[in-house]
Amino acid sequence: MAVDILDELRNMVTQFDIDNAEAMARKAIEQGVNPLSAAEALTVGIREVGDKFGTGELFLPDLVCASEVVKNALPVIIAEIEKQGKELKSLGKVVIGTVFGDIHSIGKSMVATLLFASGFKVTDLGINVKGEKFLNAAKEHKADMIAMSTLLTTTMMEQRNVIEGLKKAKIRGKVKVLVGGSPINQEFADSIGADGYGATAPEGVKVAKSLLGIE
Amino acid sequence: MRRGFKRRFEPVKLLTDSQLEAIHTATLDVLERTGIKFESEQALKLLQKNGCIVDYEEKIARIPSYVVEEYIRKTPSSFTVRARDPENDIRIGGNTLYFMSSAGARYTDVETGEVRMATQEENDQAVLISDALDTIDFFPSYTPYFEIEGVPPVMTCPTSCASRIRFTSKVSRGAQATDTFIFETQLAQAVGQQLVGVCEAAAPLSYPEDAINAAFEYTQAGFPMYIAAGSVMGGTAPVTAAGATISNNAELLGVIVLIQCMKPGTGVCGNDFVTPMDMESGGFLFGALGVNLHQMAFNQLWSQLYKIPTVNTGAAFSNSKLIDYQSGYEKTHTAMASALSGANIIVLHGGVTAELAYNPILSIINDDVANIIGRTIEGFEVNDETMALDLIESVGPIPGTFLNKQHTRLNWKKEYFVPKVADRLSYQEWLTQGRKSTIDKARERMEEILSTHTPLPITPGQDKDIDRILEDARNHYRKKGLL
Repeated sequence: MAVDILDELRNMVTQFDIDNAEAMARKAIEQGVNPLSAAEALTVGIREVGDKFGTGELFLPDLVCASEVVKNALPVIIAEIEKQGKELKSLGKVVIGTVFGDIHSIGKSMVATLLFASGFKVTDLGINVKGEKFLNAAKEHKADMIAMSTLLTTTMMEQRNVIEGLKKAKIRGKVKVLVGGSPINQEFADSIGADGYGATAPEGVKVAKSLLGIE
Repeated sequence: MRRGFKRRFEPVKLLTDSQLEAIHTATLDVLERTGIKFESEQALKLLQKNGCIVDYEEKIARIPSYVVEEYIRKTPSSFTVRARDPENDIRIGGNTLYFMSSAGARYTDVETGEVRMATQEENDQAVLISDALDTIDFFPSYTPYFEIEGVPPVMTCPTSCASRIRFTSKVSRGAQATDTFIFETQLAQAVGQQLVGVCEAAAPLSYPEDAINAAFEYTQAGFPMYIAAGSVMGGTAPVTAAGATISNNAELLGVIVLIQCMKPGTGVCGNDFVTPMDMESGGFLFGALGVNLHQMAFNQLWSQLYKIPTVNTGAAFSNSKLIDYQSGYEKTHTAMASALSGANIIVLHGGVTAELAYNPILSIINDDVANIIGRTIEGFEVNDETMALDLIESVGPIPGTFLNKQHTRLNWKKEYFVPKVADRLSYQEWLTQGRKSTIDKARERMEEILSTHTPLPITPGQDKDIDRILEDARNHYRKKGLL
């Protein structure tokens, strides 16, 4: 029985069943499934979708809809994990957002989803994120990494401002900085003192892993 | 007054009358039930005063259909824009087609496709080259380069506007970035010209404060308006052409109401700038099929039902990084579909690399493309002289020829368009003359323009005024902590 419902949880991600996600998660918890296994089932599902996105078999709407399934199902499961005093393991904690002045969300959301699919704990601050908000979130969540996106040539310098803010707050050494976005490149990333740069979302994930010393 | 090109036939209709009605009615439903978000209390108050139902907490104005239709009727079907040189005035609307220069964030190397920041001199030269190109009637804001080396981002728009005033006497669009509209209005007034003001939505269904402030400033100055809602199908608009047409239409009609409330009778042109999303990368697909379908539906809706002038931006860019076959066909098929379906302004010249880059050499090639498209919609004369019935009879079958007839000698130049930079040499000539490509020939034309063309100068007094206004802008942004 329990195995069946874990399969169902995984399948609802790979079948993009956004509408039933929360109810299904609730059902799993009510049936006494180990919430850590339930979370793992979701991760397996989204990893499968993420891999197929990487190979070109699935596309952006598939990835984003699968991520919506997880977003709907996860809160119920996390509440149960906390209730049982357990802890969800992750590869690392990432705070991600599109920088201040920029309201483009697609690239950032792709990276956030793929990071989650790879096993990171991701806090998505959304778009138009002020430097201070990055800083506070990094402190609050004890982030291992800040990931920043920008689509505009006029806002790319905001990434530097966030890095300067980390230095001033004397936490630059504790957190890696990953940057991306269509107007920037490795040279720019180096010039503002970022730790890593990814030209595409899957590449961003690879760089994130290598920065944290993950195989 | 610039003539542009005159379309001589009914525009191509993509939709049936009942499809058109369905889309219009659905748009009214969106405006009435969902409404539009305006991030400006001043705008919301004005809309409420004029019959809209306003929710101040959500910042949403719901616009009853009778209000929308009333303000559509009140919007002029054509309007004039006053240029620095009266010969460059334009009248947007009716059956006239104008072309507008495109833009790009940075300068692209024609050989390698490598992109780098443009210098102020390169920016000024690119404006001067566009001034010399006959088919460019109108310039967008922040053009051709969105960024200029050594100019802080917040000063890019006013600096760009000043460059256009100095290096062209053609009409130009203002920008809406924070407070730039204050200084761009002053710059235009300093030389006695109008700008076309701008108000761009942030799809879906929202107008940011800067856009609304810009509309207040520009309409108060008595400038006509250019409205736009650049959405991406599948992201900020439905993925279907019909759905995206409705949401884009609601965004644009919503601001038509606001602008007519701000200043009744203001001339407005509606820009269609909707692209499908690349479902692999999330990027924009310029030159894609969806752009053509969307623009053709938009043109039909606005020219047929609303009688409000249209701008199409689909041909402005290509996803190609090079001046190559792809950038050639993407820009051309999109521009042609726009022209046939009745667009009043097509944005075309010079943009590649999906908005990231521009090169004047491409503008020069696009000048030929614009001429051919414009001449196509002008059709041809059908009269006794052009039908040449007597001539056909007198020449008769072989060995008759038309080459030795006055009719050919006198008429061919009127009937043909001879491109300035296309390679039309025989193979042997091409070999002996150095195997030049279109790009090589466009580069030669560019060098010739740079060494011979002088834009209509401004007076030394006007030049001083421009410097003073730019200094005022710098001080303003310094005070605001933005510089």
